[in-house]
Amino acid sequence: MYLYNDFDQTLVNERVEQFRNQTTRFLNGDLTEEQFRPLRLMNGLYIQTHAPMLRVNIPYGVLSSKQMRMFAHISTQYDKSYGHFTTRQNIQFNWPKLESVPDILADLASVQMHAIQSSGNCIRNITCDPLAGVCADELEDPRPYCEIIRQWSTLHPEFSYLPRKFKIAVSGSPKDRAATQVHDIGLHMRRDNNGNMGFEVLVGGGLGRTPIIGQTLSPFIFEKDVLSYLEAILRIYNRFGRRDNKYKARIKILVREIGLETFREQVEAEWHCIKGGELTLESKQIEHIKQRFQVLDYHTDSSDKVLTEHLSSDAKFKAWFEQNTLTHKQNGYRIAFISLKAPNQAPGDITDKQMNIVADLAEQYSFGLIRTTHDQNLALTDIKSDDLYSLWQQLQQHNLATANIGTITDMICCPGLDFCSLANASSIDIAQGITQRFTNTATEIGDISLKMSGCMNGCGHHSIGEIGILGVDKKGEQWYQLTLGGSDSHQSKLGDRLGKAIAKADVVDAIDNIVNVYKDNRHDGEVFSATLKRIGLDPYKERVYGSH
Amino acid sequence: MALIKNKQICSDGWPNLKTSATSAGRVIVSHDEWLKNKDELILSGKRLGLTLEADEKIDEFLHDIGKFSLIIINIASFADGRAYSLAKTLRFTHQFKGEIRAIGDVLPDQALYLTRVGFDALQLPDNKAAELTLQTLAGFSAFYQPN
Repeated sequence: MYLYNDFDQTLVNERVEQFRNQTTRFLNGDLTEEQFRPLRLMNGLYIQTHAPMLRVNIPYGVLSSKQMRMFAHISTQYDKSYGHFTTRQNIQFNWPKLESVPDILADLASVQMHAIQSSGNCIRNITCDPLAGVCADELEDPRPYCEIIRQWSTLHPEFSYLPRKFKIAVSGSPKDRAATQVHDIGLHMRRDNNGNMGFEVLVGGGLGRTPIIGQTLSPFIFEKDVLSYLEAILRIYNRFGRRDNKYKARIKILVREIGLETFREQVEAEWHCIKGGELTLESKQIEHIKQRFQVLDYHTDSSDKVLTEHLSSDAKFKAWFEQNTLTHKQNGYRIAFISLKAPNQAPGDITDKQMNIVADLAEQYSFGLIRTTHDQNLALTDIKSDDLYSLWQQLQQHNLATANIGTITDMICCPGLDFCSLANASSIDIAQGITQRFTNTATEIGDISLKMSGCMNGCGHHSIGEIGILGVDKKGEQWYQLTLGGSDSHQSKLGDRLGKAIAKADVVDAIDNIVNVYKDNRHDGEVFSATLKRIGLDPYKERVYGSH
Repeated sequence: MALIKNKQICSDGWPNLKTSATSAGRVIVSHDEWLKNKDELILSGKRLGLTLEADEKIDEFLHDIGKFSLIIINIASFADGRAYSLAKTLRFTHQFKGEIRAIGDVLPDQALYLTRVGFDALQLPDNKAAELTLQTLAGFSAFYQPN
């Protein structure tokens, strides 16, 4: 991972002192709530239903054991002994006291972390492929580029009062595991015919009330020009994005209203003025950032001998291995996912004890590094194959070995009405109902992405779930709208509405019906989306609504 | 009102827009007034200041930009970030060398960002706000973006 130098450390320390001063002035009545609001949001602090919520950045989803232990400490010291991992690879604490937040930020700064721009109308945490650097299909490791963009966007003087929030994701592989098509800007690493590194730039994607798939703004921007090109996009958005209606203020609406061509012309004209200037990235600058990332010392003599023995002797281990681990680019290593979707647990939640265990296991088996995924799970990405069995045994002891990655019980879910002041409906209890129903059959059913949001703001990404669930309010009652066929991988697609909203008590049965239609109709080895595409929505509609 | 220029509290040599107080040899005009009375204003030989709203289209006066000594950008709401891009465009893209002043809803906590996009003068409501602004301007020594 990227290691801070004195310069980076000075900046986060100064930010802590700035926020301490601002918080004191707010508590003394010298700043109004309206004036304090953007200041606290740009330090990750929301005011929620029960208490403030603090969102802490995990830049592009990589953290160290030391940092994970600090999360555990924060949750013990200032919160209710747990944290919640989000779909943008960050962590949220749901119960901190406002007056404690400067101290929490100081604790975070001591381990090279911060909450800068984790909320507010500014450029948010840069996210990327959770398997960056370890997947076999990678063109280039995107993380150094994420760091370059993180630095450029951090405390950006011009882009801190944008019309609305702004999210950037980067993918370094042909297979998109970073949901780049549903970000304000999605960057895909590419090489041109001469072998030069660069980016395809997508713009105007997003979920929320108006889900839109991003479009290609430029098929190739040289790596040296990527910051000036981003600055041109942001400047056009900052100047011309709508500010009269917060639901129409994202860049996707600007692009849709003026058209991609006009938007491109404006960006190109602005870029023409600044291209080749002070934001140009020299190759030695890029190299310098790459060198600030620690190099992992893989053992090239690792074998699969011990693993093979355990796979044939322990069926439960085998089930976890097949569902929760993936091939590594390095022979003798595997990528292991830690599911945070155990039964009786809110998706993405983790206790302080579990955080400390994960930190220990990462240190013992995986270079002291942990990844967060946009599916709200964790990954230890560099496990020697022969260590997998002992890792699994220890994960099992702490309820961290649920073998359900990619299945229907590995759902994405927002905090919903239980915590969020925006929500119309609860999501955690629905998630638990679904988990109970499918716990024993999930792996047999096969991979299905189920995503659920408690309101149309769509934090649970329901629009791109193969099964999407959206909570809506109908005259004070909680109802749920289902969609089928969404996708966030490779070719993103928005799900199609199944029919009218369903009462809370019937949601789990409806999901069961949908799964049964798939099971009854699928050909051998056919995935959920392929069956749906082949037979269409009608059989699902009939089964779900025919029974009501 | 208190004016900070180049990180110091200082007096204002320009006419006061609120009190309509005049200042010898200097005049401040709106964009419309400039377009209407351009020739007359140039002939007057006075030093010229221009007021702009943050969302104003600037293409019409860009070729005249060198004729102004002062450009005032009115920030209608502190949450409206358009003034930042406007100042940056004037200062860095079009190389405006005169004073760029922020007036309106200018908060001390925004001063550092404002001065980093090209504003060299900030109008604050009173001396207390101006003193606080001077403190916030000194709050950071490390920046990721080039200056």
